[in-house]
Amino acid sequence: MDQAFHLLMRSIVESGSALHYAELARVLALPVEDGRQLLQAVMQAYPIGWLHPETDYIASFPPLNNLPTQYRVTVRGQQKWFAQCGFEATSVTWLFPGMTVKVEAPCLDCGDPMVIEMRDGHFVTVDPPRMVGHLNYGFGPSRGRPPFL
Amino acid sequence: MNLFRSEEHARRWALFNPQSEEGFISLPDLAGFFATESRHHMLAPDYLSAWFPRRGGERRAYLEGIGKSTPFWLGTPSPA
Repeated sequence: MDQAFHLLMRSIVESGSALHYAELARVLALPVEDGRQLLQAVMQAYPIGWLHPETDYIASFPPLNNLPTQYRVTVRGQQKWFAQCGFEATSVTWLFPGMTVKVEAPCLDCGDPMVIEMRDGHFVTVDPPRMVGHLNYGFGPSRGRPPFL
Repeated sequence: MNLFRSEEHARRWALFNPQSEEGFISLPDLAGFFATESRHHMLAPDYLSAWFPRRGGERRAYLEGIGKSTPFWLGTPSPA
């Protein structure tokens, strides 16, 4: 399962989208159905990510997202990634060591832009400077709200 | 789990939960929260088995260290 997770993470980091289970199976020289079951097992072991409901499509593989969000990530001048959420956006830096990671998002109140740039965990740019993180519902399944809120 | 231009902007958000006043976190604290040791190993071949299981404990310790030790942040049941 470690190998499958690693391949999925590497694929989304390298290309902006995670391998489909049929592609995962091919890389691992497995039958396609075994690849699907392996994906299911990985997502169970990594419950902070999720599949799109009623499908075997990866929606979220944090800190990145397969499904676009408002948190657009640019590295080396290329915008081909999305962060799972505003919190995970500050963790994307660890996937690109030695590089500047730029996250741009519209404010959900006014739509005006926000920008953070990080390099190896340190902020390079925070615009506007009063930007904050906000957790709208507490952590934990007892709250009964999806984790992305 | 969103970023806003300021606390005032978050409170004006149409979907703002009035019970989330304690849900604000500064960007430096947020970056620290998402920079615990296991996060540095997300590209390691053994991340899922060796590092991901440490994440929960690291998060709890960090949150307690910055004074966010309520059920809202720790994901523990609220007192009855």
